[in-house]
Amino acid sequence: MNHALILPILLPFLAGISLLFLKTSSMLTRRLSLMATVALVPLAVLLLILAGDGGYRVYLLGHWPAPFGIVLMLDRLSALLLLLTALVATPALWYAVATDGDRQGRYFHPLFQFQLMGLNGAFLTGDLFNLFVFFEILLMASYSLLLHGGGRERVRAGLHYVILNLTGSALFLIAIGTLYGLTGALNLAELAVRIAAAPESDAGLLRAAAVLLLVVFGLKAAVLPLYFWLPAAYAHTSAPVAALFALLTKVGVYAMIRVFTLAFGLEMNAWLLPLGLATLIAGGMGVLASRELRRLIAYSVIVSVGTLLTGIGLDTVAGLSAILVYLAHTTLITAGMFLLADLIVDQRGHTENWPAPPVAQLRLLSGLFFMGAIALAGLPPLSGFLGKTLLLQAASSTPALPWVWLIVLGSSLLVIVALSRMGSRLFWNMQDVATTAVPVSVRRWWPAAALLAAGPLLMILGQPLTDFATATARQLLSPSGYMAAVLATRDLTVLGASL
Amino acid sequence: MLNLAVTLAFTLLGVALLLTGWRLWYGPTTPDRILALDTLYLNAVALLVLTGIRFASALYFEAALFIALLGFISTVALCRFVQRGQLFE
Amino acid sequence: MLLFIALIPLLGALLPLWAGGRRGRDVSVWTTAAVTAASLALLLWLSPVVFDGVVLQANWPWLPQLGLNFTFRLDGLALLFGLLITGIGLLVILYARYYLAERDDLGRFYALLLLFMGAMLGMVLADNLLLLLLFWELTSLSSFLLIGYWHSRADARQGARMALTVTAAGGLALLAGFLLLGHIAGSFELSTVLAAGETVKNHPGYPVMLMLILLGAFTKSAQFPFHFWLPHAMAAPTPVSAYLHSATMVKAGVFLLARLFPVLADTDLWFYLVGGTGLITLLFAAYAALFQHDLKGLLAYSTISHLGLITLLLGLSTPLAVVAGVFHIINHAVFKASLFMAAGIIDHETGCRDMRKLNGLFKYIPWTATLAMTAAAAMAGVPLLNGFLSKEMFFAQTVYQAAAGGEVHWLLPLLATVAGIFSVAYSARFIHDVFFNGEPINLPRLPHEPPPYLRAPVEVLVAICLLVGIAPAYTVGPLLAIAATSVVGGPLPPYSLAIWHGFNLPLLMSSLALIGGALMYWQRRRLFRLGDRYPPPDGKALFERGLNLGIAATRRLTEGLENGSLQRYLALLIGVALVAGVAGAWQGGELTGDQPLPPVDLLSLLAALLLVLTTGLTMLWHRQRLTAIILLGGVGLIVVLAFIRFSSPDLALTQLTVEVVTTVLLLLALRYLPSDALPESMPSRRLRDAGLAILAGIGVAALTWGGLTRPLQPELAEYFLATSLPGGGGANVVNVILVDFRGFDTLGEATVLVIAALGITALLTGGFPLPIRSSPRVVSIEERWPLLLRMGARPLLALTLLLAAYIFLRGHHLPGGGFIAGLMTALALATQYLAGDFRWTTAQLNLDYQRLMGGGLALIGFTGLVSALFGYPFLTSAFTHAHLPIFGDFEIASAMAFDLGVYLVVVGAVMRILLELGQANAEENGWKP
Repeated sequence: MNHALILPILLPFLAGISLLFLKTSSMLTRRLSLMATVALVPLAVLLLILAGDGGYRVYLLGHWPAPFGIVLMLDRLSALLLLLTALVATPALWYAVATDGDRQGRYFHPLFQFQLMGLNGAFLTGDLFNLFVFFEILLMASYSLLLHGGGRERVRAGLHYVILNLTGSALFLIAIGTLYGLTGALNLAELAVRIAAAPESDAGLLRAAAVLLLVVFGLKAAVLPLYFWLPAAYAHTSAPVAALFALLTKVGVYAMIRVFTLAFGLEMNAWLLPLGLATLIAGGMGVLASRELRRLIAYSVIVSVGTLLTGIGLDTVAGLSAILVYLAHTTLITAGMFLLADLIVDQRGHTENWPAPPVAQLRLLSGLFFMGAIALAGLPPLSGFLGKTLLLQAASSTPALPWVWLIVLGSSLLVIVALSRMGSRLFWNMQDVATTAVPVSVRRWWPAAALLAAGPLLMILGQPLTDFATATARQLLSPSGYMAAVLATRDLTVLGASL
Repeated sequence: MLNLAVTLAFTLLGVALLLTGWRLWYGPTTPDRILALDTLYLNAVALLVLTGIRFASALYFEAALFIALLGFISTVALCRFVQRGQLFE
Repeated sequence: MLLFIALIPLLGALLPLWAGGRRGRDVSVWTTAAVTAASLALLLWLSPVVFDGVVLQANWPWLPQLGLNFTFRLDGLALLFGLLITGIGLLVILYARYYLAERDDLGRFYALLLLFMGAMLGMVLADNLLLLLLFWELTSLSSFLLIGYWHSRADARQGARMALTVTAAGGLALLAGFLLLGHIAGSFELSTVLAAGETVKNHPGYPVMLMLILLGAFTKSAQFPFHFWLPHAMAAPTPVSAYLHSATMVKAGVFLLARLFPVLADTDLWFYLVGGTGLITLLFAAYAALFQHDLKGLLAYSTISHLGLITLLLGLSTPLAVVAGVFHIINHAVFKASLFMAAGIIDHETGCRDMRKLNGLFKYIPWTATLAMTAAAAMAGVPLLNGFLSKEMFFAQTVYQAAAGGEVHWLLPLLATVAGIFSVAYSARFIHDVFFNGEPINLPRLPHEPPPYLRAPVEVLVAICLLVGIAPAYTVGPLLAIAATSVVGGPLPPYSLAIWHGFNLPLLMSSLALIGGALMYWQRRRLFRLGDRYPPPDGKALFERGLNLGIAATRRLTEGLENGSLQRYLALLIGVALVAGVAGAWQGGELTGDQPLPPVDLLSLLAALLLVLTTGLTMLWHRQRLTAIILLGGVGLIVVLAFIRFSSPDLALTQLTVEVVTTVLLLLALRYLPSDALPESMPSRRLRDAGLAILAGIGVAALTWGGLTRPLQPELAEYFLATSLPGGGGANVVNVILVDFRGFDTLGEATVLVIAALGITALLTGGFPLPIRSSPRVVSIEERWPLLLRMGARPLLALTLLLAAYIFLRGHHLPGGGFIAGLMTALALATQYLAGDFRWTTAQLNLDYQRLMGGGLALIGFTGLVSALFGYPFLTSAFTHAHLPIFGDFEIASAMAFDLGVYLVVVGAVMRILLELGQANAEENGWKP
């Protein structure tokens, strides 16, 4: 059994605990927190290599065999998301430290670590109830991080997020309870086996529970009628938190992929495709309607969720692999844009006002913005193009082709129009005065730049990425390997260990 | 004999529960309701003791003890709030 | 090698940025020119092979799965465009150096120009549809940046955005078209696609695909009705207009038509769509050009018109039409670039572009005027100039089409002549209005001849006009031949590039056009009046209005959806869950299972009744907060009884302690809510909410019913029962599940508790707004902290702690455990704060709850880690039996340490939360932490 599997959870957990004993945001706290976060990167790379062989790594917590104990499960998808988490978290945290954002309230660092613990745990666990627990951890931490620093608008928008998600958690529990009541299983692999073997008379209730899960995950992922909490919350929270939250909606998407490909099979796609397309439309319109930059980026998160769901809904290896590529792209770019938006606001004031005094580092900021905008809009030659085009190609052999193409391309156009307006407003329409803003050092802008560098990098590394995504999609769509790997541990006869 | 007593006690307790419920509903003042809740705790204690007798199990007595203790704390907190408008000062 | 042609300018784009910042303008211009010259030299070096009819190809796989590869081809068409791009590029670079003012950022300009040049070269050289698209979009983007170069001007910003919007929309259509084309042809490699012409044209998807691709081409080449962006792109500096918006970028659309000619052309649909659009554009723009008062506006519309002409020629689909089209691409690029540059000189020298003011400039700048007039004559199609030749070929083609019959017969040559007349008229206007026609009116400054370097590019271009016009076969002939060959995809029919073909119909049409144009210009006043009365539709205004309407609509919709009402969001969430749940359950299966229900006794029924009553009342009176809390206490208690009734003492104990802690918490939290009664919602809203709540309740009840009426799946339970004692060392299965089987969940939930405590602390110290409330009246100490309570609370602490310890220790075997014990301890401690002076109690207890919970969490983690030391997975438990003299036999289990951790976390976190919430109360009374 490979202990590396538990490390992505344990490392932030232990770091979070240690930080409780240190002074809030002292140098030592910052160093420890940064170190723990940076260490996740090589760890995630290691796990990615490990998972890259296409096998499944099972970790039996407490040495109890599945389905009796809790298992952690590493496959390609988990590894990919772990890496993304580490890659987003590191610059976000650095940015928080560099801008003193972590000092605007208490416990930023322990909360950040626990947030990472929740994210990593959700990506690794192979148990439905344990998934709920990690959802709770990441949500609870996200509530506090979202409100970090306070302020009227932030608290208002944040409370909406909190209350809706608490309701969502209740729904999650109801769904889990129903599933457990019907199948007697919490382990995902076991659940899948039981559902497949369930009598016809249970089908309706099982489906109802599955759909409730879809609603819960849809709330997290911010799907059409459930996303309204997101724009305000993301627009008003602090920049590093918003950057990290670029990941949070992906947890919902991850959970959908994981649970539905494994346990519920094809049935969910009838729901996902129209949901995804509707979300895309709403998100695209929101992007165009946005008056300020942060809200625009927040709505682009919704566009990305719509795209992701569309791809899952296609229910083909091509569709799934396309959106996995897209997932990597959108997470990194959106996170980078949130950080960049903060730098821009810092230098020119609120983005809703124009003309404003010019920014101090026009070339740097406008260059980064341009890059991010191209990637976000899915224009070549940056990464958005890759995922989007793969998705369009994936749709081309399905009956959904006209809808998918029309809506995906249409929303791209909305995003392009919105971004060109925003960009020309921000960087071209300036008051004819000398700037009073202070240029920031590389210490503050590299996180945004590093995340936005994903635009060209993912494109250059496009082929290995696409290969990996395709392999991941294959793995996901043939879940029998997963079940076999987990349930093989059932015969483990060692019961506890005696001292 | 014991059986009869226990059954009778259960019946009476049922009536008590009903009456307590009515007090919770009717009030009319907040202290009335706090008292009703406190009485509900008492009813629960009695119910448990009786159940313990019925099934000859010590576990229920323990539970009764806890309810009595914690019910007290709850009542104190409520009273304090009614009296002072806040808990800590 | 091919790769470098495009790569050199793309990478070289960084040089002027670097040079412009540090060195002077001249370094900047020379580096840019050197980069361009390098590309040009490469092209020239490779060209002999191409002239021999060889298609040079190169490929590097990039994203084979996507179908996007670095494959390039250098054939005649690509060579022609490559030479145009780099050649005119060089001239523009020189021109821009003297055109742009000192304060303009030359480095940025040249960087963008090189970026564009690289993209354009990449596009024409691409041998892969997606690669072509990639560079295509890059040209749109760099054009956006170049149009907006003078970004302090509003028209530049608007023009740039409009150009980007239109061309990007076209680009998206093109993407869709290419994907379809690639799908049909089975590959994105042009070499394969070009060979699949028959397959493609017979495919049912051909019409849709063609329209999508044409959308891309037409938006880029400013064909009607997408032409409107081009005149507004003239807000760009004139070198950009000359380069991008007349010579090269706008030719991308026609380039694409030419490139895909073998695959797409020669169908009826192609003929009508391409030819029709070209014809309309040709006529409309020629007409509109006449009425432009802005010098660059006239040139812009004339560009559109000429692009229409080329499109029309390609639409005609005959090989000779293609030759004419390609020829005109060259000619137009040359004379229009020189005209733009001349216009730029005039603008530069006079500060004005309005032809109503610019008059009689000939005597001020005779040499420039001569050059401009020559170029304008080429535009009009005057013999001995290059424009004449291609226009004559165009006329010949229209006549040929008419002779071949078909539905359009005589209309085509007629309309072509009309377009020719307009073209001559606006050329005449350009010449006469600007250089003659009286004296200049109110010019900002009177012009004189520009510096020679500004004029030199114009001289070169005009010389080419003349050379080609006089001796076409010796100058442009071979290039035209290979370019047209690669468009047609086969050998060309014989044609002659001569000035004189004898007296024939095309010559007549040319003469008619010249005479008619002159007449029309002569009668211009009447025409202008007509134009003022019926102005050509203003595409820009329509576009802006449409866009603004669209944005307003999306705003209304978005703000209508996302209206900030939590009630609405919650109603949506619950409503969606309800609808989805019902829709899911509807698809089959049964609600009720086959497990028989146990009998109901009277007391349980009574308790259930009470539960319903208290729950209902809580809901009904939730606005009277204190009453609601009391009733909630009742609800909780009955649930506790239910747990006891159904033999789950652990749950009952947990529920009980949680219940009391909740009561205390809620009482503390009341302080943060406004005390005033909330406004009632509207009846309709209440009805909606009530309906939703009732339905949701029914839904959950149905799910529960479904579960309850089905037999338990016993596998897990049996395993736990069997393994708990031998494997987990505990007889209390519930506790063993919590600390061992599913200890990882407990670890998680303990973390949640700690996070909650941290979060609440952070939120409250972050200045959570408190509603204003009158502070309680000041009273005596006795009334504040009654003696009986104070004294009673202390023994209570000891008693409760003892109980907690008892519950904790036995937890592994009998009901109890760390969680319950922790809650009890917290309650006992809270009672102390409650009973006495908050300050005094804080000082007396002197507990650091943060460290307490941190320590607890650490203990949990540590317990888990120990097993890893022994090579077992995280959280593997171990136990053993030990014997001590007085205590007798007892068990030591690692689970105990785990449970102790849970205990500490619970005590620490709950106390932390209670005190944080309570602190605000205390602070109001003058207490300082």
